[in-house]
Amino acid sequence: MPTVSLEVKAISAATTPAPGMKEAPRVAKLIDVSSCIGCKACEVACQEWNDLPPSVDRPFTGSYQTMPDLSWNFWQLIKFNEILRGDGRLEWTMTKYQCMHCADPGCLRACPAPGAIVQYANGIVDFVQENCIGCGYCITGCPFDVPRLNPQTGRVSKCTLCSDRVAAGLEPACIKACPTNCLSFGTKEKLLLIAHQRVEQLKERGFPNAGVYDPPGVGGTHVIYVLPHADRPEDYGLPKDPKVSWTLKLWKGPLKWLGHLIVFGGILGAFVHYLRFGPHRAREEDTGK
Amino acid sequence: MAERDEIQRFTMAERLIHWAVAITFVYLVLSGLALFYPSFYWLASVLGGGPVIRRWHPIVGVAMFVFLLGMYLQWRRDMKLDDLDRQWLRQVGKYIRHEEGVPESGRFNAGQKLLFKTMSLMGLLLLLSGIPLWFPLRFSRSLREWSILVHEIAALVAIGGLIAHIYMGTAVVRGSMRAMLTGWVSRAWARAHHPRWAREVERTP
Amino acid sequence: MTNGWTDIANADVIVAMGGNPAENHPVGFRFVMEAKRKRNAKLVCVDPRFNRTAAVADHFVQIRTGTDIAFLNGLIHYALQNGRYNEEYIKYYTNAPFIVKEGYEFDEKEGVFSGWDESKKTYGDKSTWDYERDDQGYVKVDLTLQHPRCVFQLMKKFFARYTPEVVAQICGCSKEDFLKAADIITSTYVPAKAATFLYALGWTHHSHSVQLIHAAAMLQLLLGNVGVAGGGVNALRGHANIQGGTDCGMAYHNTAGYIPIPKAANQSLKEYLEAHTPKPLRPNSMNFWQNLDRFFVSQLKAFYGDHATKDNDFGYHLHPKLPEDPQTGKPENWSWAFIFDAMHQGKMEGFISFGMNPVNNGPHSRKVIAALAKLKWLVVVETFQTETAAFWKPDILKLVGLKPEDVQTEVFLLPAANFAEKDGTFTNSGRWIQWKWKAIDPPGEAKPDQEIIARLFLKVRELYQKEGGKFPDPVLALNWWYTNPANPSLEEVLKEINGWALTDVPDEKDPTKVVLKAGDQLSAFLQLRADGSTLSGNWLYIGVYTNAGNLAKRRSTEDPTGLGFFHNWSFNWPANRRIMYNRCSADAQGRPWDPNRPVIAWRNGKWVGDVPDYKADAPPEAVTTGLGPFIMLPEGVARLFVPGQFADGPFPEFYEPLESPVKNVLHPSHSSNPVAVVFQTTQYDKLGTPDEGYDIACTTYRLTEHFHYWTKNNPYNVQLQNEFFVEIPEELAQKKGIRNGDMVRVISARGEVRGRAMVTKRIRPMVVNGRTVYQIGMPIHWGFLGRGKQEGGLANILTPTVLDPNSFAPEYKGFLVKLEKA
Repeated sequence: MPTVSLEVKAISAATTPAPGMKEAPRVAKLIDVSSCIGCKACEVACQEWNDLPPSVDRPFTGSYQTMPDLSWNFWQLIKFNEILRGDGRLEWTMTKYQCMHCADPGCLRACPAPGAIVQYANGIVDFVQENCIGCGYCITGCPFDVPRLNPQTGRVSKCTLCSDRVAAGLEPACIKACPTNCLSFGTKEKLLLIAHQRVEQLKERGFPNAGVYDPPGVGGTHVIYVLPHADRPEDYGLPKDPKVSWTLKLWKGPLKWLGHLIVFGGILGAFVHYLRFGPHRAREEDTGK
Repeated sequence: MAERDEIQRFTMAERLIHWAVAITFVYLVLSGLALFYPSFYWLASVLGGGPVIRRWHPIVGVAMFVFLLGMYLQWRRDMKLDDLDRQWLRQVGKYIRHEEGVPESGRFNAGQKLLFKTMSLMGLLLLLSGIPLWFPLRFSRSLREWSILVHEIAALVAIGGLIAHIYMGTAVVRGSMRAMLTGWVSRAWARAHHPRWAREVERTP
Repeated sequence: MTNGWTDIANADVIVAMGGNPAENHPVGFRFVMEAKRKRNAKLVCVDPRFNRTAAVADHFVQIRTGTDIAFLNGLIHYALQNGRYNEEYIKYYTNAPFIVKEGYEFDEKEGVFSGWDESKKTYGDKSTWDYERDDQGYVKVDLTLQHPRCVFQLMKKFFARYTPEVVAQICGCSKEDFLKAADIITSTYVPAKAATFLYALGWTHHSHSVQLIHAAAMLQLLLGNVGVAGGGVNALRGHANIQGGTDCGMAYHNTAGYIPIPKAANQSLKEYLEAHTPKPLRPNSMNFWQNLDRFFVSQLKAFYGDHATKDNDFGYHLHPKLPEDPQTGKPENWSWAFIFDAMHQGKMEGFISFGMNPVNNGPHSRKVIAALAKLKWLVVVETFQTETAAFWKPDILKLVGLKPEDVQTEVFLLPAANFAEKDGTFTNSGRWIQWKWKAIDPPGEAKPDQEIIARLFLKVRELYQKEGGKFPDPVLALNWWYTNPANPSLEEVLKEINGWALTDVPDEKDPTKVVLKAGDQLSAFLQLRADGSTLSGNWLYIGVYTNAGNLAKRRSTEDPTGLGFFHNWSFNWPANRRIMYNRCSADAQGRPWDPNRPVIAWRNGKWVGDVPDYKADAPPEAVTTGLGPFIMLPEGVARLFVPGQFADGPFPEFYEPLESPVKNVLHPSHSSNPVAVVFQTTQYDKLGTPDEGYDIACTTYRLTEHFHYWTKNNPYNVQLQNEFFVEIPEELAQKKGIRNGDMVRVISARGEVRGRAMVTKRIRPMVVNGRTVYQIGMPIHWGFLGRGKQEGGLANILTPTVLDPNSFAPEYKGFLVKLEKA
């Protein structure tokens, strides 16, 4: 497959600005939860395209859900949830869960390994396996709890939004496989437009709280949802108000500078002390020979 | 036996354990800095690369904690602060400026004792906060977030202590290094830096 | 399907009932979603379970398994009572105005139609289930629909019992839920609206399955939804090419093209044709089956080639004939379940299982295993080793108390190529005959089906040639003309199915003109001749392979009308017609009911739009004088009242499943279908009752994640659903102390299975006839072989050997069980 290199916007653990200067149209995946039929074609398409081995002996999940959770070899998971609404109406939500490709990715902020996580100008956040050191900080930094460590290889992986396919002008594998157009792919601007149209339709069809999920706490995401009950994202297994955590900000902000101060300040302080006071000269020190 | 010019300050066991802690600690500082701050990531290359330090940092960390525990058990009686130590601490400025009138120290001075206690406590914190970072999949996200903060702050305190300790032990208090290497110091050195200890040693046959 | 997949997008209301299209037809379901998005269509789902279709439905009604007829009859009653039917439509396009014979009656108290013989438990005399004729033999009609014995008035009376209260009482749903569904569905009676019914095995797997579909068809006819864009009664077929199999003579009772199989009683072609060619019931009726002679003679020419001559009745004597049952004098029944019954009785020596897995398919796996153990030989042609091929393994034989050493059956497993490893056609549910190309070579020694059949045939023919035999002629005379006799190319087979002219074929009206030259491929039905000058394997497929080539390969996405006809995509039998009965899409004057969705319209002296399902040059008004739009029926119009073709009555009456937790509230004396086929020949043919503790209704179904018993060999599918489970309502689970994930045992009168409990809110207990009734359900996809946990979780160990009396489909979808924590 012909691939073109994607323009890089941000690189993990970079001490200098990213090389990219060019702008690229921001891409996105739209998940219209109201038209997901839980067929799992996306789950398998993802595994097949990315050569991820299936977990034939996975545990019983107690529902139609394939896996209890995402895993290093399972990047897309449809979460099944039975909800009895107040009016006695049952809803069975099927919500595809995967990397959200945040505009402000917590994983990238947390990553200590230069170049292990990159954000392309088109918005895709990608893990570069050969640079990954397997520390798992990205798992902690992710407000959506998405990256997963492969204990065998010591590398972390997640949905790449099929950056390889996108680079070649194709849509991601999950979108290609979706039979109901629950998933669509395109520029974020266009998809937001479609998303809002679908929301209007849902409102007419008896879902007054329908809305678009594009959480601002992470600068917006490149995976957006149409939710029939946007006031209750947790019903779909989505965090209500995801943010890059304050601990991460403290670590990569003030504490970073404090750390540098201690290391360099300590060395410098000792040096100045020596210049000013010199070694300790006790009264009898030199007499004991 | 004629009065020997030198007295033994550290036994072989003491020296071994000190250096075990020291070497592991230095490795942990260097690899830890690489893991925490991108500006220090070049240290990772020196130590064998990112995946290598990610693998060894926690293992060495546990090793250091074991040594530190040994050190703590070995020195904990010598490290008790007494009234004179507290007086010493109040006048620590004089000590720093090499002025007269600092209360006499025992085997360890109050600064050393404080460093010992601090390092022991930090060692414990680093171990506890390090485990969730070692096995991120087994712990909740909020615990991991807190662990990162605790690990970082504890590490910074310890690094500060280390810098001070190395500086004092090499540049400022001459003879300390020899003491930790050979185990012996001159009587004069002992009387100068640890007079109470020197007297004690000289009293005992 | 009367319509097609792409046409679903034209619907205003989509009713998913007796099927679960979101789960079992996810790709076709895109057109449901398109209708919702583009037309703001409403999706109504009626099912025993809140399934994945229900999850995206606008309205869901949970009904007790096996009560669909009551629900549909309630809808018919609602439409009739509220004037929600298209009067002009039923007047000209259905038999509503037909007058029924005096003497026809339905006994509401007993639940049987006239002619019932209680002592013999059968309909001894069905002669009253017929129309009243005039002296010319035509049916009398009353276009005012007022005659007390006209079908319309009989319907009003018959369905009056199905009030919303009664429906709620039988089905276990709330009256409000029923009424909401009724309002949405019957709202499409207005000319410019259409509802489509999507059904599948949830309707066909009952002891009253044919009447169930009859009820749906009646409702759709009343609403004027048959033949229109976005309408129809649409069977969603369960396999990629099951439609093709059905079209090409897969069932025992007909040959390719739905031509009735010759019976032993008809020993000459003339007798056969007389017995099976219908007479028109209305003047001017097109009665297209009057051409049976053309279809069948051309087919005999395809079968026997030069051995079929005018002098020898075109080889009719060579054609297999259904024998008569010596006891009843009726033709023998060799439908699926009867095969295994006969096998169990020792009446069969050998069995070739080609792409089937009867041990798993059932009904009632134990009976099938015991039957296979009585065979002398068994040939299984499959892509994987199946439970049928391995029925002799100890853990499978254990189910019938046998050990491998007890069984003498010699088993041959022939490895077959799968769908991607061979070319050929798939005929989809919408009757599109689509060519597919081979993707990869089959592995190892696996061979494509046609090669396996051909090599078997050549060997058998060789043996007959060498050794003779009782009746070698049919085998020796078979027309095996293929370029490579050991592996016929499917292009050639398709060419033969379509057929060609053997000699020049003159025009019937003007014999000086030649319609076809010798060797020309046929392109229209009426090019067929009954004199042996044409050959066609399946008259219905004419047009798929013409002189223009293999039209099944066409892939044009051109759609000038925007109605999703795609006339240049593959070939759609019959005659590339995308919507059947499409004359009904326009009113008696030829004006489309919905000007925005015209399927066909009369313009400038001809019908334009889709390929008309009507006499191409007949003016619209002809419909008012007997040239009806249902050209295949002798009536020319659709049958609301079915005059004698069904075993269980001219109208669809609600009967409980043979195993039901409650008695029929309408007529407890005939609670279930009185003429259902209930086997009683073996120890496995047992029914349980609530009194014996079998008080939970159970149904079986399929999952999106699997395809029958095949994908349990594919690790990706296995990962998606890797373990047999039983879906249990929360309330029942609580009562039995079962937690989600516990192992449970499900026991029917015929066997038991173990599986993991999936405790769910999606099946709710229901109050039926004042009693709380629980339903559970289980998917069918597990067994003894394959990847993942294959520990004998085989649903068909439980299912009963009970059949519909018309289609002989087993009642897989409603039976009784006990449930225990394992």
